[in-house]
Amino acid sequence: MISDGLEDEEKWLAAGVAGLQQNSFYMHRALDSNNLKDALKYSAQMLSELRTSRLSPQKYYELYMRAFDELRKLEMFFREENRRGCSVVELYELVQHAGNILPRSYLLCTVGSVYIKSKEAPAKDILKDLVEMCRGIQHPLRGLFLRSYLSQVSRDKLPDIGSEYEGDENTVMDAIEFVLQNFTEMNKLWVRMQHQGPTREKEKREKERSELRDLVGKNLHVLSQIEGVDLDIYRETVLPRVLEQVVNCKDELAQCYLMDCIIQVFPDEYHLQTLETLLGACPQLQGTVDIKTVLAGLMERLSNYAASSAEVLPQFFQVEAFAKLNNAIDKVIEAQDEMPVDAVVTLYSSLLKFTIHVHSDRLDYVDRILGACVKKLSGKGKLSDSKATKQIVALLSAPLEKYKDIDTVLKLSNYPHVMEYLDDVTNKEMANVIVQSIIKNKSCISTADKVESLFGLIKGLINNLDSKLLEELDEEDFQEEQNYVARLIQMLHNDNPEEMFKMICTIKNHILTGGTKRLPFTVPPLIFNSLQLVRQLQSQDENATEDEAPVTPKKIFQMLNQTIEALISVPVPELALWLYLQCAEAANDCDLEPVAYEFFTQAYILYEEEVTDSKAQVTAIHLIIGTLQRMHVFGIENRDTLTHKATGYSAKLLKKPDQCRAVYACSHLFWVDDHDIKDGERVMLCLKRALRIANAAQQMANAARGSSGSVILFIEILNKYLYFYEKGLSQITLASVQSLIELITNEMQNENSASDPAAEAFFASTLRYIQFQKNKGGAVGEKYEPIKV
Amino acid sequence: MASRRRMLLKVIILGDSGVGKTSLMNQYVNRKFSNQYKATIGADFLTKEVQIDDRLFTLQIWDTAGQERFQSLGVAFYRGADCCVLVYDVNVQKSFENLNNWREEFLIQASPSDPENFPFVVLGNKIDVDGGNSRVVSEKKAKAWCASKGNIPYFETSAKEGFNVEAAFECIAKNALKNEPEEDIYLPDTIDVGGGQQQRSTGCEC
Repeated sequence: MISDGLEDEEKWLAAGVAGLQQNSFYMHRALDSNNLKDALKYSAQMLSELRTSRLSPQKYYELYMRAFDELRKLEMFFREENRRGCSVVELYELVQHAGNILPRSYLLCTVGSVYIKSKEAPAKDILKDLVEMCRGIQHPLRGLFLRSYLSQVSRDKLPDIGSEYEGDENTVMDAIEFVLQNFTEMNKLWVRMQHQGPTREKEKREKERSELRDLVGKNLHVLSQIEGVDLDIYRETVLPRVLEQVVNCKDELAQCYLMDCIIQVFPDEYHLQTLETLLGACPQLQGTVDIKTVLAGLMERLSNYAASSAEVLPQFFQVEAFAKLNNAIDKVIEAQDEMPVDAVVTLYSSLLKFTIHVHSDRLDYVDRILGACVKKLSGKGKLSDSKATKQIVALLSAPLEKYKDIDTVLKLSNYPHVMEYLDDVTNKEMANVIVQSIIKNKSCISTADKVESLFGLIKGLINNLDSKLLEELDEEDFQEEQNYVARLIQMLHNDNPEEMFKMICTIKNHILTGGTKRLPFTVPPLIFNSLQLVRQLQSQDENATEDEAPVTPKKIFQMLNQTIEALISVPVPELALWLYLQCAEAANDCDLEPVAYEFFTQAYILYEEEVTDSKAQVTAIHLIIGTLQRMHVFGIENRDTLTHKATGYSAKLLKKPDQCRAVYACSHLFWVDDHDIKDGERVMLCLKRALRIANAAQQMANAARGSSGSVILFIEILNKYLYFYEKGLSQITLASVQSLIELITNEMQNENSASDPAAEAFFASTLRYIQFQKNKGGAVGEKYEPIKV
Repeated sequence: MASRRRMLLKVIILGDSGVGKTSLMNQYVNRKFSNQYKATIGADFLTKEVQIDDRLFTLQIWDTAGQERFQSLGVAFYRGADCCVLVYDVNVQKSFENLNNWREEFLIQASPSDPENFPFVVLGNKIDVDGGNSRVVSEKKAKAWCASKGNIPYFETSAKEGFNVEAAFECIAKNALKNEPEEDIYLPDTIDVGGGQQQRSTGCEC
């Protein structure tokens, strides 16, 4: 049915256009032959097409535009006629003979335009005549278009100040009066339209009215363009008259739209100076008018103005703009008891944006707005309305964007309370926004109190708010979010050790409540923050007595021990083990033997009891050997215990090659030049043991399929032999090196074994190294010289 | 008849809200400028007489609302345009990026017979702001875009200082004149030598 309606409308439009074209054809012929009488006759017939009642506003506008274009040509003709001596007054009389009122009115406006241009009569008189004459058309659609035509043709002929049509001392008022009158009449036609036709078509009619709104609003644009409308005239005449019309029309659509127009078409300076009047009109509007959009539009506009230049700010202070807006909003919210939450929050959010632009130093204002918002939300529980939620996010984001500094935001006591009203998902999103803002702006958070407030604010990311929510979360999103938290933790810093330690403890208390999924992300940065502090203490004062100092490495290590323990329950034993080793190394640097030993013991316990995966064991054992090798703090006894265990673990790895490699790596535990550890016997023990394992591995491989997988192990051991040979280990003889080389050479030539390019290359470069050392000469060269390759 | 028609050149100014469309028109027609931002509602025009090659033309310059919500009646006024002026603010990236949308929207709605060769002119306005320091769209970038759209003439303007406005509109007028209007040739079914009377009376008397 609807499509039929549209098709019909197209047909009617086409018919209208055809009628219009036909008559304009004859009109043009008349114009070309300077036949005034025919020109008038056909133009009137052409304009009769605009009498249709069948078209929707947009289609009518299309028809109107065609007629409009034709009338421009007629207007030119009238001007030519006038130049040829035809009196414009006569023309003005002549067109009134047109039989029908609508065409007659259009023709009058057209001649009127020429009349004003001729200056044969004052512009104001002609305009007054024309605007009165338009009262003859009371059909809303036709009346609105006719008056809009009048508005258009008179646009550049108003008796404005400085215009060529300027009249006596009242000239600006005449111009304003004309536009205001046209505006008032148009608004009446527009409002009246809703009462015409059957009730069932109300919706369609409202849509049509809405399409026509710009014809009415255009008058306000014209008013704003009048040069003579200065602030005084605007305040005394224009604004009161326009508002009077807006309030009195008692129509929701008109009020909503026209308030928006007033705000948009007149300059910011005028709004600031007339805020009371403009805001005073709001409570007088219909109860159904969407005041929040109107006020939000006003505040947005003024915020942009304030942001445009610091020079304009005094204007805001002078008129106490904040107080006035705040007051108006409070009143509106108070008056409309059932105002939806999203509307309330929108209003506060706009006011907040306004405030931070205008009074960037008045945090108390911002906090007051947040407080008012909390008051309004209290008792409602978490919000489930998505529109309101979005507005709260906007409200909370604005201070972050403006101040770019979390420090300032943390001073807003009501900020966390507003956040409470967000549902868990949004709360977390907001926390994310806060964290990202801190990272982006490299904000400095440097006291334990601030850390406490901050973590309270972002607890959606830190604590388990809802374990069900956590389970539903996408793994990648979760990782990304927690990586940001980790970055945040690393940014928290204070040069004062005491404060820094307090901060670390605060962070610890928060993250330890984060649950097993978050700990692997949050514990490591905390550990490294702490170790950094340890190093700082280490370098700062060697002489401070332990008991007096509020923070000592010992205390920090104690705290770290507990913190890492939390990871065991996750369980991520490999990570915990690695962190224990890091701590042990730091304790080593502080010369704290018992502490370092304790960390190693923890690491060993983890290795024995928790690290079960064979690959993880390999990684862990190499970490242990590497760290242990660097330790210098241990006395002989402790060191023996630890190295003994490490070699024991190495020999018990699952796969032979892994065993072999770990065992020969252990050899380094017994020969550390820097720390004067030189136990050749035990180095030899390790290497021989490694050789035995390599042999066993080879036999197993041969039994399996004659593969030569283990020849590479021999080459690796050969390299260890060479290393210690060079160091001067007496246990490593020339013969043992030589026999190892032969063993490898034989193995490589063994026809049964498949060739292994990697092993071949490795062996070749090892031999090259030997040759290179030979060529060096001197003590090294002498040592290498006897080796045959 | 053709000559009368060709005395009028119709120009449409399009672009984002706040780029200075109204200001450019006011500077060109009235030599006036106001720093205050005032939104435009709907569309309306000012006229200015121009002389091109010793012939006098009337330039009908249509200023339009940049904000969509103030364009409730649609864009029927695009019809019969001879040139379309696309304006952006050199200090606002988005306003430059939107030129493409404005151009395409115009070509769809106005549907000129030869869209490839329909004359456009691009103006980069507000070059005076902050001595050019807040500028984000370079002249080079703007010219590259214009070149890619069939060598659209490009001008950098300041409506505030009146810089290049006259030159830009001279070019606009010349390009508008070059545009061959679609001859809406209308032939009546029957040519009534006596001057046919076709009274159609419907509805009320107004």
